Amino acid sequence: MIRLYDYVLSASCYKIRLMAALLGVKLDQEAVDFHPGRAHKSVAFAQLNPAGTLPVLVDGDLILTESTAMLVYLAQLAGRDWLGPLDPKSAAQVQHWLAFSGRLAASLGMARLHDMLLYEGDIDAWRAQGHAALRELEAALSERRFAGGVWLVGDAPSIADIACFPNVALSQDGGVSLDAYPSVRLWTRAIRALDRFVEMPGIHRLHELRPAPEVA
Amino acid sequence: MTPRWIATGLSQDLPKAVAMAGHWQGQDLAVWRSATGRVQAWNDRCPHRGMRLSHGFVRGETLACIYHGWVYGADGVCKHIPAHPALTPPATIRVAAFACVEQDGVIWVAPADTVGAPVALRGLQPLRSISLTCDVAAVLAVEPALSGGDALRGLVQIGGQACEVCLLVQHNAAGLTLHALCAVGVDRIAASRWVEDLRRRAERKGAA
Amino acid sequence: MIAPEVLNEWYPVAMAAHIRAGQRRVTQLLGQPITVALQGGAIVVTGQGGALHVTEAFGHVWACPGTPAHPLFPIPEALETGRRLVDVGVVRVKCSPLRAVENFLDIAHFPFVHTDVLGAEPHTEVNRYEVQIREDSDEVWATKVTFYQPQAAKSAEGGIVTQYMYRVPAPTAAVLYKTCPVRPDAWDVIGIFVQPLSEDLCDVWPWMALYDDTTPQADLIAFQQMIFLQDRSILENQIPRLLPLDPGMEIPTQADLTSIAYRRWLKKRGLTYGAQMVAA
Ligand SMILES: [Fe+2]
Repeated sequence: MIRLYDYVLSASCYKIRLMAALLGVKLDQEAVDFHPGRAHKSVAFAQLNPAGTLPVLVDGDLILTESTAMLVYLAQLAGRDWLGPLDPKSAAQVQHWLAFSGRLAASLGMARLHDMLLYEGDIDAWRAQGHAALRELEAALSERRFAGGVWLVGDAPSIADIACFPNVALSQDGGVSLDAYPSVRLWTRAIRALDRFVEMPGIHRLHELRPAPEVA
Repeated sequence: MTPRWIATGLSQDLPKAVAMAGHWQGQDLAVWRSATGRVQAWNDRCPHRGMRLSHGFVRGETLACIYHGWVYGADGVCKHIPAHPALTPPATIRVAAFACVEQDGVIWVAPADTVGAPVALRGLQPLRSISLTCDVAAVLAVEPALSGGDALRGLVQIGGQACEVCLLVQHNAAGLTLHALCAVGVDRIAASRWVEDLRRRAERKGAA
Repeated sequence: MIAPEVLNEWYPVAMAAHIRAGQRRVTQLLGQPITVALQGGAIVVTGQGGALHVTEAFGHVWACPGTPAHPLFPIPEALETGRRLVDVGVVRVKCSPLRAVENFLDIAHFPFVHTDVLGAEPHTEVNRYEVQIREDSDEVWATKVTFYQPQAAKSAEGGIVTQYMYRVPAPTAAVLYKTCPVRPDAWDVIGIFVQPLSEDLCDVWPWMALYDDTTPQADLIAFQQMIFLQDRSILENQIPRLLPLDPGMEIPTQADLTSIAYRRWLKKRGLTYGAQMVAA
């Protein structure tokens, strides 16, 4: 079984848990005491990932330490439906959003770690960079909507959407509201409504997807 | 100041069975659309424990609070408290409702006792809502073709053609939100890029 | 001006193991800057006016900025052999420290906020339970609390009706006792220790004392962090951020008896830091 070294509050780890759930792939999840234990910075963990980051995905002799690479690997294994369209333009756009997700992690993700787990750094700069990235995402998703689209690339959700979703959906944890980004909100909602979607803390259940229980 | 209608969003951004945050002059609102399409705007606070109702969930014709699931029906009256399923909640438990109308693809809000209707916007299609960190003066300074106070209107150049636009102004703590509409038939992708460009120029002007 | 009743209480300010390992914690207590550090083998908390009273308990460092009105409350179960003590680590929340405690005392939100873990529709009913302010210890206690839970603990398999007791021994600390899935004769003990940085910002330290020999430590921490972080997005979106003590401001029901008693107890004792006394 594919093993995921995981931390429950990590947006990057959640990317992989979410992708696996949507694909119907079971992972062997190994919890790492990221906080407060900082086990990802231990000498023992460096054996697995010298960079000391999470997540780490291990399948046989393959060790992946970049979450976007893990998305590609899981989507390739599971029949390629989630890789996005393969024409040159779409393939390049998928790569664009995979790289863009790194900007989200470096801005919204850091703001969240600052506000929640007391990471030190320039919170105003992180939030400003987060808003700048959200404006780009909002513009792109608005144009997709005008063309009748829902997802970042093509007619179906892809690894591009999953790569960008966690740090966007969790932005409020870092004091960045999505109120000013209506197309982004509707896109996060579309992802949350997907069959087999799983939550993480900070993203609550869409209770409206199930009918109200009968009142006794 | 007399109560008046303020645009708090575009219809296209509030599908059925969805709630979102809105506001009227600094008053936070939960704006939501029921399963059959009715839009309502309420005080954004559950009377039970103060949780924002804009985080809540819509089932049928009701909005429920995400914290304890208290269910509110038409006009903000509490209909059900899940912790006490057999109880009929006292009629005194209710959320204050604002006046809310949908017109020309725009969601307008005003205090409950407001009479009259918002201004009609003929021949225009909804485009996008965008937030700016500058004030209206900076927008008017970089786009002299626009004029107005609560609604900035004018003929602007989009994709080499003169195009009528209307930007409905909503002030907020961080600056303002513009709910943009453009003439029917104009390419909305081109118009969206014009709005982005206007924002960049206005914010640069505002910061100068 | 902060009331002496507030200053004379104990507040958590650090995880003891971190300070003993040589870390310094530069932080805030009741709006004032403080530093927690190791000096000559002892943990010292220093504020602008000099050293604060310090005690160490339940894995945490506790400080009193005034003159302690009483010793820090005990948790006798923490001393029982066979229990695993789990420091869950700090989480910052933009809310009143009192709102954080009140949320911890609440069960009615389980199906909606901790869905499929601590609760699930249609099992939303909160049965009547007992609440008292114990005169000997001057603590708020809720007993005979029961609730249906799909996955009550990391060690639980499947749904069970969980029994709870809740206890508020200090203005910004609460302890719960709940059915231990692997030892029906004993209680699992879970605490929440809240450091009031200011009236509307707090550092929260969940803590556990469990009978569980099998679950890896990292899984226990992850479970409790998952639960608390589900609450965090609620706590940061309550209006007002301060806890209203004016009874007209929020509407409780029978399910909120613990919260009602907690608010009354705070008011009676003058522990109103983080509270809003009149409707704004
Ligand atoms: Fe909770």
